[in-house]
Amino acid sequence: MSGENVSKRHPIFTADAWGFRASEQMPETINRSPSKLFYVYLMAPAIALLAAITIYPFLWLIYMSLHKVKLGPVDDKWVGLKNYAKLLSDAKYFEGWVLLGKYSSMCLTFEIIIGVTLAVILNNSRFEKPLVTLFLMPMMVSPVVAGLLWFYLYNGTFGWYHWLFESLGLLGGASILGRPETALYGIVIVDVWQWTPLITLITLAGLKRVPQDQLEASMVDGSSPIRNFFSVSLPNIFPFLLIAILLRFMDNFRFIDAILALTGGGPADSTKLLPVYLFDVSFKFFKLGRGGAIAFSLLVVTIILGLILVRIFEDPARKQAMSAQD
Amino acid sequence: MVDVKIENVYKYYGSIDGVAAVHDLNMDIKNGEFVAILGPSGCGKSSTMRMISGLEHISAGTISFGGNIVNNLAPKDRDIAMVFENYALYPHKTVFDNVANPLKLAKVSSPEITERVKRATQLLEIDHLLDRRPQELSGGQKQRVAIGRAIVRQPQVFLFDEPIAHLDAKLRARMRSELKRLQVDLGVTSLYVTHDQLEALSMADRVAVMHEGILQQYDTPQAIYEKPANAWVATFVGEPQMSLIECVIRQKGSGVVLDFEGHEIAVGAKVGKVLAASKEREVLAGFRPNHVAINTRKTAGSIPGIIYARQLLGGEILAEAQVNNTMIRARVNTDFSLQLGDKCSVSLSKEDLNVFSADTGVAIY
Repeated sequence: MSGENVSKRHPIFTADAWGFRASEQMPETINRSPSKLFYVYLMAPAIALLAAITIYPFLWLIYMSLHKVKLGPVDDKWVGLKNYAKLLSDAKYFEGWVLLGKYSSMCLTFEIIIGVTLAVILNNSRFEKPLVTLFLMPMMVSPVVAGLLWFYLYNGTFGWYHWLFESLGLLGGASILGRPETALYGIVIVDVWQWTPLITLITLAGLKRVPQDQLEASMVDGSSPIRNFFSVSLPNIFPFLLIAILLRFMDNFRFIDAILALTGGGPADSTKLLPVYLFDVSFKFFKLGRGGAIAFSLLVVTIILGLILVRIFEDPARKQAMSAQD
Repeated sequence: MVDVKIENVYKYYGSIDGVAAVHDLNMDIKNGEFVAILGPSGCGKSSTMRMISGLEHISAGTISFGGNIVNNLAPKDRDIAMVFENYALYPHKTVFDNVANPLKLAKVSSPEITERVKRATQLLEIDHLLDRRPQELSGGQKQRVAIGRAIVRQPQVFLFDEPIAHLDAKLRARMRSELKRLQVDLGVTSLYVTHDQLEALSMADRVAVMHEGILQQYDTPQAIYEKPANAWVATFVGEPQMSLIECVIRQKGSGVVLDFEGHEIAVGAKVGKVLAASKEREVLAGFRPNHVAINTRKTAGSIPGIIYARQLLGGEILAEAQVNNTMIRARVNTDFSLQLGDKCSVSLSKEDLNVFSADTGVAIY
């Protein structure tokens, strides 16, 4: 490394310190961009922290799923894939998947439809700011508290919503959470109540970025306001929606606090979604090995679905369309 | 293809007590005519166009297309096509779909859409780009796509909102002639909003000059340049700028002369007659730089001054002479030898001048 321009700088920025390859052809005055190694050095502390708090427990999870885990001071017993094999004959496990699928798709559908509609209304409202503050409140509540709150609202004796649904003739006497046919809808409503504002917020941010002139051009081209939304706004907010869907579906796959507070998986296992079942297996029956296997399978599916969503998100044409707006 | 009438139109943003963005505008655009609205930013030209397009509410007055009042029609029902300053292409659609969009919305059959998009894009020489998306296009190409989207349908009125403002100078010059050609070929009534006088004067059949929401003058480009209606238009239009000097009309013999800080400026017989008939005494006399001579020869009627600035404009030099506190500009040959601070004499044309009331700015001659 020769050349005065560079050597005057602090030693930490010199090539020798960070593994630059000095090239003979390069003019001395050009500042070469740092090598990849430089970025690795910069990221090392963050990676180390991440490893300690996520990767280590993750490896433990895999370890547990391959062992019969003893809680006492006894060595765990290696069982290979036996924990996974047992899942295949576990009807509750598959039922958990089905319920989780139903729950998650219902939640997402309602949250997206209501959330986007609210965002469009808010975006055109004079009272946008106070309304947004109001809408955000459910999100600020801890899920357990939300669960308890709705537990009372649903209560068959004095619950206000119970009274409302009953008056509409929807329940036929029983409490909404008390009947296997309706309990799943009960927890879906709570999730929709709590998390629709998140979708609204993200969509609203997206709507703010829809270029005004595109909307106007479309109006001049001859489209109605509704058509305008689907042909101009929606493609523009699509990446934002994908992020919202990604966040929500991952949350649906792991948040069980509200469900535990509301039904604990009942009645008659009608709300025993896979994560709830996982909780029961691991922390009620303390079959940690089997719980590990369930958790790992849940994780794998979450990652695969997440990757599919990210892949859609990274569709090159769409990506270009996004960057073109900046 | 219709005529457009704008009658007593006002535009207020916010309260009606505030300043009008457009104040009592009256304009008529004949069928097939190309009209440019020219003015600095904030003059109300864009508001005017947006009211015609229906994107902005009309606060008062009426706008009619071919005798039908369109005040309360939505943009989609006005049968207009608009080209936006930032092109406003749909980034997620290909060039073909961008151009085809108005036809699709009008529910034209798909073979006809293909046919018409082809014709429009061939005309604009972008037919090889149909499968690309806007972000893969250059500024000039995007602009053509935006124009393509406008001409693919035969609208009643074309609206251009500074469509070539963001192109580089060379491309802009080319697009000026092409746009003009296109408009003449299609024969569609067109309104063109710009802050660039070159665009307005070179393309339009008539130019409307606006300032602070008020229409200053609405006339042919030549009339705007040669007979500006007031001192503001005179200095806004024309590059380099017209020099305005404060004078007093004084009787001399049987005719009149202009008294500029003790210097006598003789005027031609035709001008003299008009000035003698005018009641105004204090006036602003305006001279275009090509009607002023700056040199070292002291002749009768020349005014002594000092060279304040000189700019090379390519084939000529713009010389600026300071006479007391007044600047007078002249176009001179490139062999002009006087340097900054040199003494000079300024000779003004007797015939080619404009005279405005010093009080109101309204043109007297």
